[in-house]
Amino acid sequence: MLRYTVRRLLGALPTLLVIVTLAFLLLHAAPGGPFDSEKRMMPEIQRSIEARYHLDEPLWRQYLRYLGDLAHGDLGPSFQYRSTSVNEIIAQGLPVDATIGLTAITLALSIGGTVGINAALRRGTRWDYGSMAVAMAGISVPVFVVAPLLILVFAIKLHWLPAGDWVHGSPSHLLLPAVALALPYTAYIARLMRAGTIDVLNSPFIRTARAKGLPLRLIVWRHALPPTLTPLVSFLGPAIAGLLTGSIVVETVFGLPGIGRYFITAALNRDYTLVIGITVLYGALIILFNLLADLCYAWIDPRVRLR
Amino acid sequence: MSAAAGLWRQALQRLRRQRMSVAAALLLATIMLACLLLPLLSPYDYFTPHFELLSRGPMLAGGHILGTDPLGRDLLLRVMWGCRISLAVGVAASLVSVLIGVSWGATAGYVGGATDALMMRAVDILYSVPFVPFVIVLTVLFGRELWLIFLAIGAVSWLDIARIVRGETLSLKQREFIEAARVSGVRGAAMIARHIVPNLIGIVIIYATLAIPTVILFEAFLSFLGLGVQSPLASLGSLVADGTSEMQSHPHLLIVPALFLAAIIYCFNYLGDGLRDALDPRDR
Amino acid sequence: MTAGRSGVLSACAACLIAGCGSIDAPTAMSVPAPGSAAASAPTQSVTLGSALAGEQAVARGLDDMPRSLDPLLVNDVPGQRIADDLFEGLTSADISGKAAPGVASSWESSADGKTWLFHLRPDARWSNGAPVTAADFVYAWRREVDPRTGAQYAEGLAPIENALAIATGNKPPESLGVAAIDQRTLRVRLNGPTPYLLDLLALQYLYPVYEPAITRYADAWVRPEHLVCNGAFVLRENVIGSRITLQKNDKYWDAAHVRLQRVTYYVLPSRADQAARFLANDLDWTDSFAANQRTWLKSIVGEQAVNSPYFGAYFLGMNVQLPPFKDNLPLRQALVLALDREPLVHYMRQGMYQPAYTWMPPLPGYELPVPDWQGLGDDARHALARRLYAQAGYSEQHPLRITLYIPSQDGDSRHFFEAITASWFSILGAEVRLYEEEFKVLAQERNLHKLPLFYDAWIGDYPDPYTFMQIRYSGNGNNNAVYSNPAFDQLIDAAGQEPDNVNRYRLFQQAERLLNDDAPYIPLYYYATRHLVKPYLRGWQSNVMDRNLSRYMYLLEHQRR
Repeated sequence: MLRYTVRRLLGALPTLLVIVTLAFLLLHAAPGGPFDSEKRMMPEIQRSIEARYHLDEPLWRQYLRYLGDLAHGDLGPSFQYRSTSVNEIIAQGLPVDATIGLTAITLALSIGGTVGINAALRRGTRWDYGSMAVAMAGISVPVFVVAPLLILVFAIKLHWLPAGDWVHGSPSHLLLPAVALALPYTAYIARLMRAGTIDVLNSPFIRTARAKGLPLRLIVWRHALPPTLTPLVSFLGPAIAGLLTGSIVVETVFGLPGIGRYFITAALNRDYTLVIGITVLYGALIILFNLLADLCYAWIDPRVRLR
Repeated sequence: MSAAAGLWRQALQRLRRQRMSVAAALLLATIMLACLLLPLLSPYDYFTPHFELLSRGPMLAGGHILGTDPLGRDLLLRVMWGCRISLAVGVAASLVSVLIGVSWGATAGYVGGATDALMMRAVDILYSVPFVPFVIVLTVLFGRELWLIFLAIGAVSWLDIARIVRGETLSLKQREFIEAARVSGVRGAAMIARHIVPNLIGIVIIYATLAIPTVILFEAFLSFLGLGVQSPLASLGSLVADGTSEMQSHPHLLIVPALFLAAIIYCFNYLGDGLRDALDPRDR
Repeated sequence: MTAGRSGVLSACAACLIAGCGSIDAPTAMSVPAPGSAAASAPTQSVTLGSALAGEQAVARGLDDMPRSLDPLLVNDVPGQRIADDLFEGLTSADISGKAAPGVASSWESSADGKTWLFHLRPDARWSNGAPVTAADFVYAWRREVDPRTGAQYAEGLAPIENALAIATGNKPPESLGVAAIDQRTLRVRLNGPTPYLLDLLALQYLYPVYEPAITRYADAWVRPEHLVCNGAFVLRENVIGSRITLQKNDKYWDAAHVRLQRVTYYVLPSRADQAARFLANDLDWTDSFAANQRTWLKSIVGEQAVNSPYFGAYFLGMNVQLPPFKDNLPLRQALVLALDREPLVHYMRQGMYQPAYTWMPPLPGYELPVPDWQGLGDDARHALARRLYAQAGYSEQHPLRITLYIPSQDGDSRHFFEAITASWFSILGAEVRLYEEEFKVLAQERNLHKLPLFYDAWIGDYPDPYTFMQIRYSGNGNNNAVYSNPAFDQLIDAAGQEPDNVNRYRLFQQAERLLNDDAPYIPLYYYATRHLVKPYLRGWQSNVMDRNLSRYMYLLEHQRR
């Protein structure tokens, strides 16, 4: 398993290189430069700024320079926030996303999982239809509708929770964004768990177990649950990576200093280094969590062999 | 409970499940018909402002049954145009992604070996590329044309389909009739086109149906970022995005398009589920 | 600066507001008489006391994340707000936005108005206790104009001798017309009489900076742990994209009169979000609010929604060097005339702004050269517009088909442009298509003179006509319409040599008449400041440059019901 992990991680390097190259080329091909603004600058000053960020060099040299820095783990200075490096911005934003993301995924797993299994066990009842209809609604209503509605109800009308902002370690600031972010994931997980549980309940080995007269609860927890986790794990890998880098909408609506929000403003402002830096981070996270997902497969289901 | 009763119940469940899908299909058909016909029948147009009627709630006077928008235009009509655009984007982009995804996945799965590894590696890499800047760059390079949005969304959403199709192809390859075809000399592209793809139609239809709502939501997200279709046309997504900023002062501006958006996505999802139940026997 | 979601889209809200000069000017800050607080009773469920609140901490909304906290590099309005709280120039904006003595306690100028002597107050200190000296200003200003610094506002120092030559790399920074006579006396030499100099000096790009910090930490000197400043507050925390926290600076010379202990700026690019946060009592003061929420906000918070004239203009540019506008004055005039500004602004902007008929927004003492057609009735004006349209060679069979480039912002501003194109369609039959473009791209294409018809806006740097008029000077970098009229340029040059404001204003008016007749732009409306302010937040006044320093603010005792 160790050899497998090392090989997968080494194999990720070319992938990351492709991501960097793609992002680099696309950004530099886009019209509008990082230092265009409404007020035109004097040419001499514009040149000086561009020289400071090596934008006056040929593209290939900028590319090599970037790769060189990247090899040292340096993502470069941010173009739009002059005194700040991309590393710092990410270091500042990632914990916020991680906190919200992990809270959201915990919420989604516990609620979605419970609802999904229950729906499967009570298949065909009102409970089943009702919860699945709600889950479908969770998928169908965009986050940018849900999040403002949550603010409207819980912050503006009821004054129970703050409408935004971020205070480290404050649960009240965490709750609304986490709930808004968790909602679609909860719905997906509920549906996945329901489908998975139904599949498993219909499979011969469970039928055997039931025929042996084992109580249903025991069957579910001991026998049915582990196999249903397989599709869940494959969903969670990329989902967690996505959650960590943040839902742009949730961050925007709640005014949170997370990475997703930087990403959009950076792209719009042609903050090349910040965009590429976050892109690389995002790619790395996806690779990492997909790897973890694969390792989990092997752990859950010993029949899966890692090659 | 007796076995017979259980069987009956299962049958009933299946029927009820199908009934939901039929209902979803009917509702979708109604919305489609309405968004085709209403703009032709309505006395209003989607662009002329009426300053005396700004952001009014639903009313009978003037037939503005869903109210008016911030320019005093009939909201029902705006929403119908929004449905047109969103559905068009959803269907067209899904077609693009199905086209790319099926050919990519079927080729990779059928040819196998190094080609397969290489092609799926490309998919893996693309999975790790955050495509929002990709779409932004595309839209700024070529302008915010409707067809470009189809293409951009379609081009980034084919990955799932490619993976699924490859998996199916791998299992199809082991089947006797493919073996038989190979023995009788069918090769390469002909094999993929004539024998593999037709057997994938079921699963492709399911995933195309499920891709449409995802695409519509993504278009809505783009609109939320201000990168959707050009005004004065508006997709449901951009109507919703505009509505959120006024949800407190004029809630109908958010609720009406959000309801239609949710309904369309809801219907497609149910339809996709129903089709999966009907076409994919393994789920039974 | 753009209207709309400046946070995401207008990258650099570059035309800076600043300066001062205002209509009414109670200069010194006064503690309110106990009765006055009760007089302007709040409309919402808040009871006000007359004493100061125990906790003097204010939460202010900010439209965007400042690109830099280095005052010399600030290029956006949010950055100016922070710089105003952290630093202080020779002069400083008072509560009404007008220039008042800052680090300099007095000054005198030569007879020709070209040489000025500033006397620095002895008690002016940096936040680390070191005295603020004339040399600090010399260092800062040289740094500003040095092209190696890359300061976008170096041009702002143009009135100072040799500034432009240095910024273009033709002279060394040491040749700048500024010198420290001694530790507390600064001499400034100017190119010509500059009646707005004192307003200019209150702008962040003329603030002093602390050389040892910059030498030691380079670009990182603006971090909370390194920043040394001389204003009423010090930087405690800077969370990019989220909030900036300031704390009272005990070393500030006027600290005795600063009541706020803490100021937190929350970065909220969406105006609707700012309003929501205000209503949730998370903010005491918002940077702005959206025009389409005005009526509704007024209905809930009443007087807490405050508007006042702002020295900025919102207009459309027509590139006079590109078809169809090149050599087609009637067409340009037809488009100017075929807009019903009053209803457009009244309905689509909910009366927040004032409809514009001229280039420069109202300024005390400057009479707007309003064109004759403003007095025409709607029908007569429409008829005139149609006649011009026909004269320009267009008709129902052969309508004008053109694209109006607008920044992709929120629905609110898009709706406004939709109403404009609809107006042209119904009055002229012109088919104008809207094209939303990302702000960066729009700015670039506009600067490269690629767009025939486009959104544009300008906010004056200081309360003087020159900040507006210079844009239309031949070859000016912001002259996006590529307008050039030698007669106009001559009038501006003449005004530059005129020390007397009455004569200067007259020359500017003549120039503006020429400009309006040539119609290289379509006036839409003049800006307004727009804030939501809790009734217990006092010590601030609406002003035409929209500068509201936290230094003067304080909170009254209050209870929320």
